[in-house]
Amino acid sequence: MLKLQRILLLSSLTALLALGLSCKPTPKTDDSVSGETSAAMNKMVFNYLRGTAHKSLDPMKQFDSASADLVANIYDRLFEYHYLKRPYQLSPVLLAEMPTLAEDGLTYNFTLKKGVRFIDDPCFKDGKGRELVSDDIIYSIKRFADANVNMLSYMLVEGSIVGLDEFHAETKKLGKETDYSKLDVPGIKKIDDQKFSITLTRKNPLALLPFAATQLSIVAKEAVEKYMEDFERHPVGTGPFYIKDYSRRGVMVLAKNPNYHGVYPTEGDPGDAEKGLLADAGKQIPFIDEIHLPLIEEPQPAMLKFQKGQIDWIGLDKDNFNKMAYKDEQGFHLNETFSKKFDMYAEMGLVMEYLVFNMKDPLLGKNKALRQAIAYALDTKGYIEKMRNGRGEALTSITPIPIAGSQAQTKTEYYSYNKEMALKKLEEAGYPNGQGLPEIVIEYRSANSATRQDFEFLRNQLATVGITLKPGFQTFSAFLTKIESGNFQMATAGWAADYPDAENFYQLLYGPNASPGPNHSGWANTDYDKLYMDSKYMPNGPERFAIFEKMHKILQDEVPVIITWNPIYFGLYQKWVGNMKRNMMQDAPFKYLKIDTAGKDKGV
Amino acid sequence: MLGYIIRRLLYMIPILLGVAFLVFTLFTTVGEDPVRIALGNHASPEAIADLRAKWGLDQPLHLQFLDFLKQIITFDYGRSFNTGEKLSELFAQGALVSLSLTLPPFLIAVMLNVSMALIVAYYRGSIIDRFATAFFIMAMSISYLVYIIAFQYILAFQFDLFPINGYEHGLRAIPYLVLPGIIIIFVSMGPDVRMYRTVFLDEIKADYVRTARSKGAAEPRVLFKHILKNAMIPILTYTVVAIPFLVLGAFLMERFFSIPGIGDLMINAINTGDFPVLKGLTMYIAIGYSIFNLITDILYAYVDPRVKLT
Amino acid sequence: MSAQTRNNSLGRRALQKLMRQKLTVTCFVVIIIYLTIALLGALDLLPDFQARVGESYEAPSLSIAKIFGTDIFGRSVLFKLLAGTKTAISIGFLVTSIAVPIGITLGSLAGYYGGKIDGFVVWLFSVIVSVPYLLMVIAISYVLGKGMLSMCIAMGSIGWVGLCRLIRAEFLKHKEREYVLAARLLGANDHNLIFKQILPNVIHLAIITASLQVLGAIKSEVILTYLGVGVQDGSSWGSMISDATGELVNGHWWPLAGVVITMFFIIYALNVVGDALRDALDPKLVD
Repeated sequence: MLKLQRILLLSSLTALLALGLSCKPTPKTDDSVSGETSAAMNKMVFNYLRGTAHKSLDPMKQFDSASADLVANIYDRLFEYHYLKRPYQLSPVLLAEMPTLAEDGLTYNFTLKKGVRFIDDPCFKDGKGRELVSDDIIYSIKRFADANVNMLSYMLVEGSIVGLDEFHAETKKLGKETDYSKLDVPGIKKIDDQKFSITLTRKNPLALLPFAATQLSIVAKEAVEKYMEDFERHPVGTGPFYIKDYSRRGVMVLAKNPNYHGVYPTEGDPGDAEKGLLADAGKQIPFIDEIHLPLIEEPQPAMLKFQKGQIDWIGLDKDNFNKMAYKDEQGFHLNETFSKKFDMYAEMGLVMEYLVFNMKDPLLGKNKALRQAIAYALDTKGYIEKMRNGRGEALTSITPIPIAGSQAQTKTEYYSYNKEMALKKLEEAGYPNGQGLPEIVIEYRSANSATRQDFEFLRNQLATVGITLKPGFQTFSAFLTKIESGNFQMATAGWAADYPDAENFYQLLYGPNASPGPNHSGWANTDYDKLYMDSKYMPNGPERFAIFEKMHKILQDEVPVIITWNPIYFGLYQKWVGNMKRNMMQDAPFKYLKIDTAGKDKGV
Repeated sequence: MLGYIIRRLLYMIPILLGVAFLVFTLFTTVGEDPVRIALGNHASPEAIADLRAKWGLDQPLHLQFLDFLKQIITFDYGRSFNTGEKLSELFAQGALVSLSLTLPPFLIAVMLNVSMALIVAYYRGSIIDRFATAFFIMAMSISYLVYIIAFQYILAFQFDLFPINGYEHGLRAIPYLVLPGIIIIFVSMGPDVRMYRTVFLDEIKADYVRTARSKGAAEPRVLFKHILKNAMIPILTYTVVAIPFLVLGAFLMERFFSIPGIGDLMINAINTGDFPVLKGLTMYIAIGYSIFNLITDILYAYVDPRVKLT
Repeated sequence: MSAQTRNNSLGRRALQKLMRQKLTVTCFVVIIIYLTIALLGALDLLPDFQARVGESYEAPSLSIAKIFGTDIFGRSVLFKLLAGTKTAISIGFLVTSIAVPIGITLGSLAGYYGGKIDGFVVWLFSVIVSVPYLLMVIAISYVLGKGMLSMCIAMGSIGWVGLCRLIRAEFLKHKEREYVLAARLLGANDHNLIFKQILPNVIHLAIITASLQVLGAIKSEVILTYLGVGVQDGSSWGSMISDATGELVNGHWWPLAGVVITMFFIIYALNVVGDALRDALDPKLVD
């Protein structure tokens, strides 16, 4: 027994000593890091981070941004939104040119680019990636419309292509296995290996936009059939990168597809050339050899790594914005110490934040004056200044500012903070100074400190006119269930553009889009619905904008939702990152970026 | 001995049944709905019904539970709702990573804390004891979260002593694990040293110590020979109880230091109602825990001949 | 001497012993102050922490409301700390008052009687302990709905396990000791043996565990609030700490400093008083 104690004592003392030793001389872990970079000296490695882990790399099965960012780099679509040009417009990726519209205004003719190859993979004959053909496009569209594969995003094309809705219904009826070759879609025709056509159900200027979505990426039948359930972890695309090291919760490594067909854009916005954004015009992309994507879920380590130069590009959150940047009349700037080290962009998001009223709620739904009172009591500008460091614009219409038909083009007015009006409306509503008004519950979809602080701001605001607000911090699924079953009073909401068109925002209040569609207020107004349908398929221009103004007037008077603000997105990037222009429709444009490796080694 | 071990292994069955029942009840009846989360906004009622059927969540609860029992027996918990990955693979990848994070500091901490507690107990009542008490209590009154944030910021960022975060497989993981390890040791110090000190003081007051002392045994000898031996049982008990709490700590560590272990996997599974992952992880942990417990009990018998394994 | 008078004199002597130590008395006063704050909070007599007292993020200055500065909304950090004190004390009290009685009862019954009772108790805590703590707490708070009370019930209904194991182990040890065997020979019944003979000898473990439990509960609250399960109206130390993580990088150190200082005093006091109680109550120490 004595022996055991000696051993224990000895080992504990050794441990003490060992700890003392391991603490004092500092383990030089930097060496390992820099050693790695010098080994990869002539390699262009781009270090970015993933804030959340992706769900699926099967293009048709994903609908979360973490997945979309990866899919966009592994697969190609027919179109993308032009990297440099604003307003956002389509440009061809897998196509030789933009498709031509036949005289009937319904049929688009597409021609594929020549020499586009899938990445080498054992699923192909001899393991060599074969050339992309029209059949791949048709297969991919069908797979996208297969109800058994795609449970998330079919609504993007619903009703727009001849025969596709029927195909969608048929796959649902057939169940799991559908042989696409036996089930034709009349609106999609193969002409030859390079050419195909798509026929629309009606004239529709928005019809091509869904083909820029990552869900409509082009996949190879061989890969789908070979890998089956594992296809979502074993992507085979034509894209600029392929997966070199798959590690969902560790460091994901993408490597350059050396035979990629794409080139850097040759045209841009005025001023882009001066900024050096066109220096690589017409060169083969991608420039970067490898992308390293560690999963970093907490903001602090991500920012610390960025400041150490171990990450090349990062979004700037509220707390770090306070520390690193400021706002003046000319816009946003980095503090002096940081502007020497990093570059910054500030780009208006394609996002509208709003609050929803449940129109079926006995209190709020029937009392327009009460809803107006709440709208007058909200200080959106104050909210942006105080809670978001001025990183946003108050919206006076439902459309985010960069999109055609927004407040930049139309003359729309909206509620702004007005205590007298709020009190007047409250009296009109039957609750002078809030007397007799029951507590109103507002639902949030999470309970982190940001939502909690948002709520506290809102609560304080409404308290100034005597309205009492209570929070309902829900889990995400509970939130969805509550909202979509109409079991709520007020809820917070936000909408990010599926495609950069005002229609995508006005549809949020279209009557037939009631839950489970996106119109959670359950509001339905025949005038509004008619105007919406009139404007939906109209090309942008004064005529369409005039209809938007009419719709806005109805929204302003009825207040089924309170439109609040349009966030501005900030990012920092290292000085050695080139070709950076934030494109809100391309969140991960790694194929256009480059690294000044010489500059990076010198620590420019 | 062998008979004892076999009996104890058989005893795992009712415990695992209890765990299975508990986890099943808690997560199937409440908690996040995986179908709603997978389908997100604007899912049609039929899409929800379809997916529910696909995942077998439309079955009556007792059948789902039977299914779960079958999974436990076959060790096949299927694939994650979220990512389609096989649970056995997820676990195999994550468990070693988590262990590499928590086990070394845990072992070091036990030895270190027992040693420090012995020292403090030896100098009981003196200024050293008081100073140590104040120090450990101060260390205890700061939140785990604050330690992580502060240590990462100061030691890794400002003084460049450690990598900020990250993980690599194999031995190359070591540099990434040092700082989290130090935090784990540091955080365990306050409560553990105090607890062990209490245990030692209890033994110091026991009759046999007085006897030993009265016989003229030197103080250090008394301390190490008699007290350490007798204090082993409460120490072992306390150590075992502390193990489940490692997961709580490991989760925050894994998030802040980007270590792909199972703590973070579990939190994400809770938040998305990923039943296969939750069920599988809990059962794996429960089995591991039971086995660990058994080892502890065998150690009891080794340390203290009064305890008989029957 | 009957057991009754023995305990009485032990209690009195313990109290005398406690009062002799200045530090203990000071710490005792500290606890009383915190309890008073909590009581005032319960009676709604604390200043309203939601009220604005100045601009956002004012550094500490010499007026009472701003002694710890202000937060993002210009609210007094001191008033938030007071509200947080009420929350923390409530949490500690609730969790302990759920966990300790369960732990003592089950632990002593299991340790004393053994057999089927022991089998059941061991099974019960083995099951609970086999499930990761965080998973259990989050799951239980889903059942009961988010918020402070359900969080406390969740922590309490798991927190008894550690104490139960300790008490059980001690009972196993003590029931074979001479004094128990002697009492049994003298005709003491089970009730008497458990509550009058053995329990006083192991109750100090409950006191230590309780003081650790309060501590653990207060600290778990920080983590759970960080995960979005805990207190939701911003009036807890946990929510202040999770806000402070972002504030710190901007040099707004005072909310965090306030929380750390406030937590330190109560935790220190609890520990010192817990130790002193242990020393005073431990029958072995009575000379």
